[in-house]
Amino acid sequence: MIPAPMPPNEAERIAALYSLLILDTPPEQRFDTIVEFAASEFDVPIALISLLDHERQWFKSAVGLGDVCETSRDISFCGHAIMRGDIMVVPDALEDLRFADNPLVAGPPHIRFYAGAPLLLPNGYALGTLCIIDTRPRDFDATDMAILSTLRQLVVQQLANGEAAGE
Amino acid sequence: MLLMEPEDMLRRTVSLTARSLGMAEIHEAASPSLARQLLREQRFHGLVLAIDCGGIHDFSLLDQVRQGKTASSPAIPIAVLAERCDAGLIAALRERDVNRIILKPFRARVLLDTFAVLSAAANERA
Repeated sequence: MIPAPMPPNEAERIAALYSLLILDTPPEQRFDTIVEFAASEFDVPIALISLLDHERQWFKSAVGLGDVCETSRDISFCGHAIMRGDIMVVPDALEDLRFADNPLVAGPPHIRFYAGAPLLLPNGYALGTLCIIDTRPRDFDATDMAILSTLRQLVVQQLANGEAAGE
Repeated sequence: MLLMEPEDMLRRTVSLTARSLGMAEIHEAASPSLARQLLREQRFHGLVLAIDCGGIHDFSLLDQVRQGKTASSPAIPIAVLAERCDAGLIAALRERDVNRIILKPFRARVLLDTFAVLSAAANERA
């Protein structure tokens, strides 16, 4: 397994995340609606809005994870996904050296497929991802990418709205 | 193209994704009254309309289009979104020359495919 790397602008990224005052807040319908839509649209058992704190990924909204609201950052797929601007797709985690022996693959929730769209705020910081997860390998075509990208856009709009309301 | 669908997430997702994929521009209407206004003011090359209205099917927009009472050609391709379907509905839609019926629930992807088909049909007619 390759632990999730740290972006070069980590301190500023964390500052931008904290300034949203969103970590550890209760669930909100405006985010849950998007995540539930994503799970249904892609017919996946798990969909998340994951925000990357110093040492954990915390789920602002989650479908399919029960009471789990965070995992450690080093084993997170989303920690890898925020390193790039575009969507990160892992068609089969068992075939990917970064994730094949990851505890989230070898054990619950037994991730095989992952697609994560970085939540890039207008200031350029990737705070986390909107991601979908399956327990079986999958393909993900250009239309799927476009739909996930649209849903990511809707999440970012909500995050930005919250930021503007807090100012 | 015009999409009349009350559910916000579905409507927004379809129109924004169509735009990002470089498909035909999709105008959105969240209600029949807004769709009626848009149909009066603008010319469309295809329509996708939700027809369920309080447990009954509302064909008034379809009829307006087919009767030439909008800015669009009466012959434009039309797809209909419905909660359920029976022989009566099929007959009513055939009578109105509807190209396709899509039963709910469906994925945004299905609507995107539908718009692609309607665009092709509109281009053939042009």
